[in-house]
Amino acid sequence: MSERVTINLFRPVGERLRREVAVIRIVLLLWALIAFGLPLFIWLCGLGDPQGFGASWLTRTRIFGGFPLHYWLIAQGATIAFVLLCKLYTELLARALRKIETPWYAEAGQGGDDV
Amino acid sequence: MFKLLAVSVLLPTTLFATVGPEDFSVSYSFKLIPALIVLGTFVLYLLIGLLSRATSPSDYWVAGRGIGPIGNGAAIASDWMSAASFMGVAGLLYLRGWFGLGYILGWTGGYVLLLCLFAAPLRRFGKFTIAEFLGDRYDSHGVRLVTATVTVIIAVTYAVAQFKGMGLVCGWVFGIDYKHSVLFAAGITLVYLLFSGMTGVTRNQQLQYVILITAFAVPLWFLIRNAGGSGLFPPLEYGSILSGLMEGKVSPTAGGQLLGEELTGLQRLFLPWGSGGDIYSFLALVFTLMVGTAGLPHILVRFYTVQNESVARSSVVWGLFFIGLLYWASPVYAVIGRYWNPLGGQAVADMIILSAPEQAQLGPIFLGYLAAGALAAGISTVAALLMAAASAVAHDWYSTVLHPGCSEKEQLIIGRVFTVVVCIFVVVVALNPPALIAQIVAMAFAVAGATIFPALVLAIWDSGSNRYGALAGMIWGLSMTLVAMVGWMARIPLFAEGGLLSATSSALVITPLALLINMAVSRLTSDKVSEACLDHSDSILRRLHRLPERASAAKID
Repeated sequence: MSERVTINLFRPVGERLRREVAVIRIVLLLWALIAFGLPLFIWLCGLGDPQGFGASWLTRTRIFGGFPLHYWLIAQGATIAFVLLCKLYTELLARALRKIETPWYAEAGQGGDDV
Repeated sequence: MFKLLAVSVLLPTTLFATVGPEDFSVSYSFKLIPALIVLGTFVLYLLIGLLSRATSPSDYWVAGRGIGPIGNGAAIASDWMSAASFMGVAGLLYLRGWFGLGYILGWTGGYVLLLCLFAAPLRRFGKFTIAEFLGDRYDSHGVRLVTATVTVIIAVTYAVAQFKGMGLVCGWVFGIDYKHSVLFAAGITLVYLLFSGMTGVTRNQQLQYVILITAFAVPLWFLIRNAGGSGLFPPLEYGSILSGLMEGKVSPTAGGQLLGEELTGLQRLFLPWGSGGDIYSFLALVFTLMVGTAGLPHILVRFYTVQNESVARSSVVWGLFFIGLLYWASPVYAVIGRYWNPLGGQAVADMIILSAPEQAQLGPIFLGYLAAGALAAGISTVAALLMAAASAVAHDWYSTVLHPGCSEKEQLIIGRVFTVVVCIFVVVVALNPPALIAQIVAMAFAVAGATIFPALVLAIWDSGSNRYGALAGMIWGLSMTLVAMVGWMARIPLFAEGGLLSATSSALVITPLALLINMAVSRLTSDKVSEACLDHSDSILRRLHRLPERASAAKID
């Protein structure tokens, strides 16, 4: 039955879903860069350490009066970035949805706000 | 059926009891002022619980759905900030140095995933439990039962870690041994939970967040001063102590300057792979904790309790903000702990948030408040977990599958009885804990990340996924993570720390496979699903994504 709805994160159908998925893609891309790119970067930089402990210019650099850069990036930098990413998601989504005309559910009184 | 449930819960957790790497060597003596503070907060929780007693099941389970973004954010944060966050993370950072930061990275990053993929659709669905959601979406009692079982397994594993933390703290405050203090903490939690239900629990959670975050933060100012800092904003000041540690500078009482092997040992600890990990185990741990965060039933349920989906979204931002504040503070405890006690091992680790201040000569009022904070963290999490487990059984097993059409009162009674049963069971396991607090919790995350997360992603974002795929994927994920847990206990290298399928970080391999199995089986069985079942899933998907109803479906209804 072609009437049935098709939902696919990689091939969104319909304007509303397309906009929502575009926002999700941006945020998840940045998320992956921080969550996995950052440790990989620290790992790559430390490959030259003959002892194999991952020492590099990152572990020798000191910021804010003493933080080793590799420690600060994960301990505090990533946490700040994740909070900002969540904020970015809510902002981008609100903006994307505002562009669409008054949605059908606002009039029909359905959607997520009752129950 | 209850037997099956009992067996599936007993299996992973009794095996836990066979390994116990730590002893609980802290100074056991009765401490009057800390004891008074701790008891005072207990009485306060009970009063609040009594004043907001639950009368209807909707109140009991989801707090009547009237909670705003900051309140819900604080509730998410305090559900989250368990004894594992409060004590365990500081302990791991103390023990593993830089590598322990993987716990912070994973436990904060998971919220981004949760927010992007789940928060709003779950609110649009708006019912009681995750098992109910998956069971409805896949239109299958099988999926419902498996999800409810997984919820119970996660709750039990996770609660064991909390009771371990609470037991350690109670023992330290009241000068009683570990066993009796676990029983004491459990008794208090149980009384509190049975009297208040979700409304009381949610109301208390906001208070508990305030207590635990202040208890965690305030001593830092004094700690940092005693260690030579200026005491303006400790999370930005411990850097100099940390870089001092990397050069062997420790407190005068510990010798002032380390030399020789002790020095190289301390230097290694704060280098990325100096404490034994490698990049694979780090990424696997981070991935597991992230998908686990996004798949934890007791956190996901929080999105049912808000007014609307925009509140659901902003409460994640607030929740993560509150959680981030705590995780900014945990490394301070670990670093200052190293400063005062540079050579401590596993026995010190889980108690580091109490032993660091004790060595820094903080007064009994601070120590008492810290203990109260750690207990607040434990109680609020155990409460949420037991609620999630009890609702899985009372709501998803009993009233939906076993005994459809039972009265609301009956459902409440079953929920309460089950809360007691689970609590007793958890206490028994907690008397003989299998690993460090944060590691036990990470195992619960591996289960959530390999079973609930993949089923939920595909339930919401892939209309082609069906009940057979979901069942196959969940059974794969559950059995593999349970095998990994058993393997960890049996000390098989593949499943041990640093192994390819370590029980704390198995999801990097298992979760993508669970997603693939779900999709593949769904495609293969797509012609076996009935029209009625497809119609049902279709209407739920439309609700999740706010798509208009089908014209013909409207007539059928």
